[in-house]
Amino acid sequence: MGGDGVGLGMVASDERFAIGRLQYSSSQRRDQGMIEFVSGISVVCFAASYAVALVCEASRLVFRSGVRGAAMIAFAAAGLVAHTIFLAWRATHEPAVPLSSAFDWYLLAAWVLAGGYLWLTIANPRTPVGLFLLPVVLGLIGAAHISSRAPFPQSPATQIWGAIHGSFNLAASVAVAVGAIAGLWWLIQAGRLARKEPSPRGLRLPSLERLAHVTSRTLTIAAWTAAAGFLSGIVLNAVNRQRGLLETVPWNDPVVLRMAALVAWLVIAAVVTRSTSRRADGPRTAAWLSLVSFGVLTASILWGLFGATRHGVPPARPQAAAVQSDQPAAAPADPEPQP
Amino acid sequence: MTLAFVGGTHRTVPLALRERLAFSAEQAAEALIRFRERFPGRECVLLSTCNRVEFYAAGERAAVPPPPDQLVSFLAECRGIDVTLLSSVLAGERDEAAVRHLFSVASGLDSMVLGEPQIVAQVKQAWAIAQDNNTSGPLTGEMFQAALRTAKRVATETALGRERLSIPSVAVADFASGVFERFDDKRVLLIGAGKMAAETLRYLRGAGARDVVVVNRTAGRADELAARLGARSGRFEDLVAELSAADLVVSTTGATTPIVSSELFERVESGRGGRPLVVLDLAVPRDFAPAIGERPGVWLYSVDDLAAACDANRKSRQREMPAAFSIIDEETERFMGDLHHRSTAPVIERLRAGWSETGDAELDRLFRRLPALDVAARAEIRQAFDRYAAKLLHPPLVSLRSESRAGAPHGLLDALKRLFDLKD
Repeated sequence: MGGDGVGLGMVASDERFAIGRLQYSSSQRRDQGMIEFVSGISVVCFAASYAVALVCEASRLVFRSGVRGAAMIAFAAAGLVAHTIFLAWRATHEPAVPLSSAFDWYLLAAWVLAGGYLWLTIANPRTPVGLFLLPVVLGLIGAAHISSRAPFPQSPATQIWGAIHGSFNLAASVAVAVGAIAGLWWLIQAGRLARKEPSPRGLRLPSLERLAHVTSRTLTIAAWTAAAGFLSGIVLNAVNRQRGLLETVPWNDPVVLRMAALVAWLVIAAVVTRSTSRRADGPRTAAWLSLVSFGVLTASILWGLFGATRHGVPPARPQAAAVQSDQPAAAPADPEPQP
Repeated sequence: MTLAFVGGTHRTVPLALRERLAFSAEQAAEALIRFRERFPGRECVLLSTCNRVEFYAAGERAAVPPPPDQLVSFLAECRGIDVTLLSSVLAGERDEAAVRHLFSVASGLDSMVLGEPQIVAQVKQAWAIAQDNNTSGPLTGEMFQAALRTAKRVATETALGRERLSIPSVAVADFASGVFERFDDKRVLLIGAGKMAAETLRYLRGAGARDVVVVNRTAGRADELAARLGARSGRFEDLVAELSAADLVVSTTGATTPIVSSELFERVESGRGGRPLVVLDLAVPRDFAPAIGERPGVWLYSVDDLAAACDANRKSRQREMPAAFSIIDEETERFMGDLHHRSTAPVIERLRAGWSETGDAELDRLFRRLPALDVAARAEIRQAFDRYAAKLLHPPLVSLRSESRAGAPHGLLDALKRLFDLKD
């Protein structure tokens, strides 16, 4: 889903850059330089903090330490603070941020999950939340790193629908990631209980009851929000066609197809989960479905990162009148060559 | 000798003798006061639990504690036991060995259940009784404070006390809690009236279980047990319905064949609506057919399964022993270093006093010769003298502290006394 935005960035065209130049003042250029400067440092900064927190989490499996918990929380908190400042700084300098580019979309998704990690770690210090959640956070930051920072060309009308579209997709992705981790934990915990082994040291997982609840709830949320994201995308596409700001995305565009496939899968998974909820093997089914959903989401993101699309691309011949009347809110800053 | 202890534990003292030797809190207070009256100036603490009785004594210089054999006689006299009987089962230690022993005891390394945490509270209580009766002092105070600090370090820096060792606690904490998040909305079914049922229920109650039903072949026995456990009784004939309604089953009947077969469980399953079921089959022979545990949503644990988990936990605790002993060695060394350094205090005091006296005399002579010096100048000169004396004293003090780590620095103290003509 995050790939929606990525497609735009990766196919940034000369025409789109030309639109940006119309309103590219010297102060904006200075700010843009600052953005580059801050992002170049801070992304590494908070990614490194999360990576150190992940190493601390992994060391639970090897040895005990009285200070590790505090160090882990300190590094994660430092990373989250840097992450927040970075996003806030971009939001104050890029009017359409935080969902104005693929780069920001991925970073915001990572920020939500990192915040969740910190909260869960403080609330459940003996549960190795980060061992499973931080790789996803780092993966999203990695995806942000290779995706475009150029904002989507927008008008006030499309900005609202773009924000709705991006927010629903973000919620769906976060729900799928959380559900997959809960599902994986369910399978690990159930495996331990079936083997009749005591809880391993440093790896105390939540109960099957709670994990089953989280898994089924997140699958439902993911299905609803993904469907809402897809529908709002259709509306956004219609508005874009009307305003002529962006290229109309055809129904057979890869982004539309993969989004439709993802929504269809999530709806099926949610329905199956609900229909098996009163069966003894229902939680196991839900756990597997949540893991497969995460696989489908990952494939969708990778497709978005490396595939070509017309999604979010400016029109080949911009309709000057429409653009001027709409006053595009954000100027593209980081045109990238066509892949 | 500064510190001494005598004592016996479950390993050395037979239960019958341990019962006679045990002190209640009041008896312990009386014994401590009596000791203080007989050996004035000495400190003492008495630790008496169901598994051990230990008497710690401390004193310095003219008031060194009595040797262990006198302590044994004292304990024998307090409890009215033949001293020869006690001498054969009580052991004594002095100084560093006594400190190391107390640190091991407080950390649970000497307990019957390795790493059990209750001993910390018992050590605290023993020290509190001594404080209340004014028989504790600076030596025992520091020793017991250090013991509690060591116990805390062992508890936080090792996993010695983490894993559970009893079958009921493992059943609830490692398995039932792995399936259920909470127990206050779960139905617990006790089948039979075996000994472990009540103990398991105690842990379940601790975890929040409220709704408990007891069934037994003998209805009267079920009623009696239910009344005792604060539960309600059910009819054995309704076992299928009770199993259908239950979330967690603890079964401890004395039946010679399984009371719940696979066929019977199929009837139970149809009424459960897919809810998970935890079965703690603590009966021998087993009450539930083993095949039931292979059904989805059923988590069946027999006594052997739980005993194996307890054994794994016990081995895990054993693996923590070297780390725990390393902490105890470190803390003992630190405590003994401080204790030895403490013995140098009188010599250092005399040395300081002598230098100060000489310095003051010299300053008075100087100020008499230089009457024009104002107050500020005199203060400056006095400060310079003090700094000079402190700097000269610093190297010998550092050497004393360093030497104290290996034992009381008698050689250095004697040298200082002779070099600076320090009188006792």
